[in-house]
Amino acid sequence: MRHPTEGVLRRLVDEPAGVSDDDRAHVAGCPACLAGVDRARSDAAATGAVLTAPRLDPAAVDAGWRRLSSAPSEISSATGAPRTRRSRSLLRSPLAAAFGVVLVLGGAGAAAAADWLPIFHTETVRAVPVNTGDLTQLNRLPDLSAYGDVQVDGNGAPQQVADAATAHHLTGLDVPRVTDLPRGVTGSPRYEVGNQVSATFTFSAAKAAQAAAATGRALPPVPAGLDGGKVRLAAGPGVAEVWSQGGGIPTLVVARLVAPSADSSGVPFETVRDYLLSLPGIPAGLAAQLRAFPADASTLPLPVPADQVNTSTADVGGTRATVLAAKDGTMSAVVWVDKGTLTGVGGILGTDEVLAVARGLH
Amino acid sequence: MAATPGRHGVRPDLERVFRADYARVVGVAARVLGSRDQAEDVAQEVFLAFGRSSVPAHEAGGWLSVAAAHTALNLLRSGRRRSAREEAVAGDPPTVPDVADAVITGEERHQVRLALARLPRKQAVALVLRHSGLSYAEVAAALDMSPGSVGTTVRRAESALRKEMDRHASSD
Repeated sequence: MRHPTEGVLRRLVDEPAGVSDDDRAHVAGCPACLAGVDRARSDAAATGAVLTAPRLDPAAVDAGWRRLSSAPSEISSATGAPRTRRSRSLLRSPLAAAFGVVLVLGGAGAAAAADWLPIFHTETVRAVPVNTGDLTQLNRLPDLSAYGDVQVDGNGAPQQVADAATAHHLTGLDVPRVTDLPRGVTGSPRYEVGNQVSATFTFSAAKAAQAAAATGRALPPVPAGLDGGKVRLAAGPGVAEVWSQGGGIPTLVVARLVAPSADSSGVPFETVRDYLLSLPGIPAGLAAQLRAFPADASTLPLPVPADQVNTSTADVGGTRATVLAAKDGTMSAVVWVDKGTLTGVGGILGTDEVLAVARGLH
Repeated sequence: MAATPGRHGVRPDLERVFRADYARVVGVAARVLGSRDQAEDVAQEVFLAFGRSSVPAHEAGGWLSVAAAHTALNLLRSGRRRSAREEAVAGDPPTVPDVADAVITGEERHQVRLALARLPRKQAVALVLRHSGLSYAEVAAALDMSPGSVGTTVRRAESALRKEMDRHASSD
């Protein structure tokens, strides 16, 4: 009888029941095969000594579930997590943070993109600054739906398309072409496009009064013309190229979209912003900080968790770009706006790698 | 603030699957990364993706394990990890019948993990899944292999890693 394969000998080490009776009988009487089993056992044990893992207790599973439940995605609403936790959780995950910005802005699909876009709009209405200040105070901002009506139009949910040409046809955008992929990123990307999405906030003095009453405080005097005033924010369309490995987790995303813009009706944008910031529940220091930001929509507010993500600037093709890098070194992203078009590159990569991709785009 | 609801529904069995498989998914990633914190981050990403997927329930365990292995290997391969981040993974000491576990240093573990990242991807994933407790049949199903080839694939991976360990030991 021929000798069983090395794979069979290996299986004898830890799953002998899966080996046929004939093979087991052969091995039992074959010194060469027995020696092979011994080598396999030794190598398996040596490998197992290195590839160790912690034992998680039930409390760790509970903690993991709570974290997932408060993730910045539709999972939070599906599991009943309080809505006010969403922005906090958005800021919590270093894995999500740097990566998420690009995904959000590009309308790309892998992480929580579809749900983050409206969140981003929300933050823009609130004029929340980028990467400065005590971000935990964001949690104390009022839910805008308590102060008016929020209408989201359009569906930014990314849709996969066949190729770059189709993406260009659907969005009108020049699809960025990556010249050199970073080490470890291989294959062809999938192309996703998202339509324009807009969010319109209509201030309601009546709703705001109710919200203020709920806090036990009176509503500050409403400026003339504010009741019924609207602020509309729009972003997109956009296109994303996504390189994924294995289980579908993206390793590199290159996204481009028509940069977000805001317009208002009935009342100047800064009036709405300032009034919202004066409402009960806003820490005075944060409100003053927020007022310092320009009222126009040319400054893109990116909520960045300063304790988890380092930010810096870099030059990309003559344009000043914002670089985000997770402090644990796992992820990086770079974002810039040029001629009304926003482009981002992010992934499970180093800062130098995302910058190299960004600078090599055509 | 209202977000557009339900564009991607979250599968209703997510919590049940999470509670059943979270420890194993973390274990898969931790075996690759050597860091519980990073492994739990990977697990979060994997379950987020799973929550939006339509993976059949009976395939969830294998899908999650494969996704965790790939994601962790990608992280490892990206070179972002630094040896300084090598953490002692909490838990009971491994049972090592013929290897002096006391001499396995953090640096050695790191070198072996780097070697793991250099293996052909299927070998690396099969190895990690088997050492994470998946049966040969489960590994075969998860990786779309024949059960008979799992042993061969795992054996080759272990042999390669053992050579790396021996090479490292001989250079001390």
